[in-house]
Amino acid sequence: MIIIENLKKIYRMGDVEVNALDGVTLDIAKGEFLGIMGASGSGKTTLLHMLGLLDEPTSGKITIDGVDVGRLNDYEKTQFRLYKLGYVFQDYALVPDLTVMENVSLPAMLRLDRTEEQTHAGSFEVLQKIGLCDRRDHLPRELSGGQQQRVSIARAMVNKPDILFADEPCANLDSENSRLVLDLFKEINEEFHQTIVMVSHEDWHKDYFHRIIRLKDGKIISDGSNGQSA
Amino acid sequence: MGKKELKVAFLLALRSLQRGSRSSVILTILIIGMCFTNMIFLPSMFNGIGQSITKQVVDYEVGNVLVSPKSGDKYVADIGATLDLINGMPGVERATPHFTKGATLKYRQRVLGVTVRAISPNDEKSVSPLYTKMVAGSYLGEADTGEVIIGRPVAGDASIRQEDEFQASLGGVRVGDSINIDYGNGYVKDYRVKGIYFTGWSQADSAVYVTSTDMAMVDPKALDNADYITVKAKPGYSEQFIKNELLAYGVGGTGKVQTTADLLSKSMGRALQSFAIINMVSLVVSIIITTVVLFIVITIKTISSRKQIGILKAIGVDKEVIMHNYGFQVIILGILGIILGIFLTLVLADYMAYNPIVTPEWSATLYVTPMDLLQNSVILFIAAIVAGYVPAYQISREDIQTAMRT
Ligand SMILES: Nc1ncnc2c1ncn2[C@@H]1O[C@H](COP(=O)(O)OP(=O)(O)O)[C@@H](O)[C@H]1O
Ligand SMILES: [Mg+2]
Repeated sequence: MIIIENLKKIYRMGDVEVNALDGVTLDIAKGEFLGIMGASGSGKTTLLHMLGLLDEPTSGKITIDGVDVGRLNDYEKTQFRLYKLGYVFQDYALVPDLTVMENVSLPAMLRLDRTEEQTHAGSFEVLQKIGLCDRRDHLPRELSGGQQQRVSIARAMVNKPDILFADEPCANLDSENSRLVLDLFKEINEEFHQTIVMVSHEDWHKDYFHRIIRLKDGKIISDGSNGQSA
Repeated sequence: MGKKELKVAFLLALRSLQRGSRSSVILTILIIGMCFTNMIFLPSMFNGIGQSITKQVVDYEVGNVLVSPKSGDKYVADIGATLDLINGMPGVERATPHFTKGATLKYRQRVLGVTVRAISPNDEKSVSPLYTKMVAGSYLGEADTGEVIIGRPVAGDASIRQEDEFQASLGGVRVGDSINIDYGNGYVKDYRVKGIYFTGWSQADSAVYVTSTDMAMVDPKALDNADYITVKAKPGYSEQFIKNELLAYGVGGTGKVQTTADLLSKSMGRALQSFAIINMVSLVVSIIITTVVLFIVITIKTISSRKQIGILKAIGVDKEVIMHNYGFQVIILGILGIILGIFLTLVLADYMAYNPIVTPEWSATLYVTPMDLLQNSVILFIAAIVAGYVPAYQISREDIQTAMRT
């Protein structure tokens, strides 16, 4: 469902060129829970941003569900992200002045194919799923880091995206909260057959992934299902 | 930009104001309110002064239209026929002649030079509210002779020593007292003070009034001549209409016909020009302050939530939603500020209506029309929108990568 062909990203800083991605070719299947691992600076975030339509590659091609996303204009990309993709970031990035419920509803409120009732019901359902329904009228600052990250997962899930992207979602959490969050991803993956692409550099996270690709200097150095890869 | 997008933008704006920094919201509204008040205060006060001067000039000097001697003539002649003509015209309430003469008043040890105005007391009632301004005694009767009414400043106050007086007076004349008037043409006579008035218009207050009947004895020319004729318009008739009518009936052949506005625009033209410049400066300063404050407030908001804006765009929130979010915040702040400003202005206007700033020349109240309020609101509102949308537009166009990697 995601086809990546010879993807390159070169950052130019003055005279220096950084090959953040150096010819990545990869297919990701529907329902897969893919882990992208590698040392800091290896190009994980860059790859995720390319796949998530948040940045444009220098060369190469990305096809999602048959759509060559490189051909979409700015507005179409925004709509594509809204309707088909979900994101979880390292620092939760909830809107501080919106309640938990409002934060989760936000992406759904923008969709033209949802009525107000559907938006409400959908947000309620996903909040129940993450177990924070009783906190729906709280502001993000009134929640712990782990709870905020679960809210941000709910926000990513409310539009039932085709692909869920997560960039080091546990980087700011202790191991207990990390486990809660990872368990939630796992549940979502299994229950809804949700495709998840997650960046991580914590070794113990790999138990959760179906398949792991390892990056080094912008190149894939290994790709295999869990347990078989080195 | 669909309805849903606008709704989300509005929700974001509302929540940011409701749940963000309370003090910043209050301060911003306060500043806009003050700027609004500042914008409208000086022009309204100048307007108030202008109105009060105009009213006094109409009431105690020239009426709505003034017929004065043609250049070269000392008097408007043949007034009997002219008055009949003017009084018969539609729209004219009443026309009344004034004949004035310089004179010297004597009372006990005091001597005072004044202008004696001769009026037809009954006609004058239709033109001037002087008869309602008596503070002691009574107004002149139609054929009174040997009686005079004098302004309170002329009468003076017996409890103030002569050297302490702000304005020279007769040092405490009371109703019934006898004062001596010397007209300088050999005619000297004692008059009984029938009444004392106070109008607030210094020219009138420093004069004394006698009847035309009396004046005719002093100077027979008063019978058929006047220094000027004041014409009062009926309600609903414009000064210009009366002037045109007078000219059409040939009064222009007898004297020079001018409206109050004509006269004031000549004498106050200079002052009005200075007022206009001061008004413009206060307007511009207010607009600049409002614009700068809102610009800073919104710029700080956008910069401090740069990363969050990047994330919102990443999850599919269109840049227009981001822009209108800040736009709506400015609109809400602007409207609340303007409402506060209107409130402050009206409170101030109300206060000054009861406690005007009074000087011998004029009394200043705030003359605020709904049109002034509307005009200034619109100007300030536009300034606010520009100030808010510029940073909002800039931040909304920022590249996702730049925003997120900060
Ligand atoms: N905007 C940028 N400008 C220049 N270099 C960048 C930029 N973003 C990332 N890089 C560089 O690209 C490489 C890959 O970065 P990134 O994808 O963030 O790595 P990771 O997420 O694996 O830590 C790094 O060397 C980083 O310094
Ligand atoms: Mg990274």
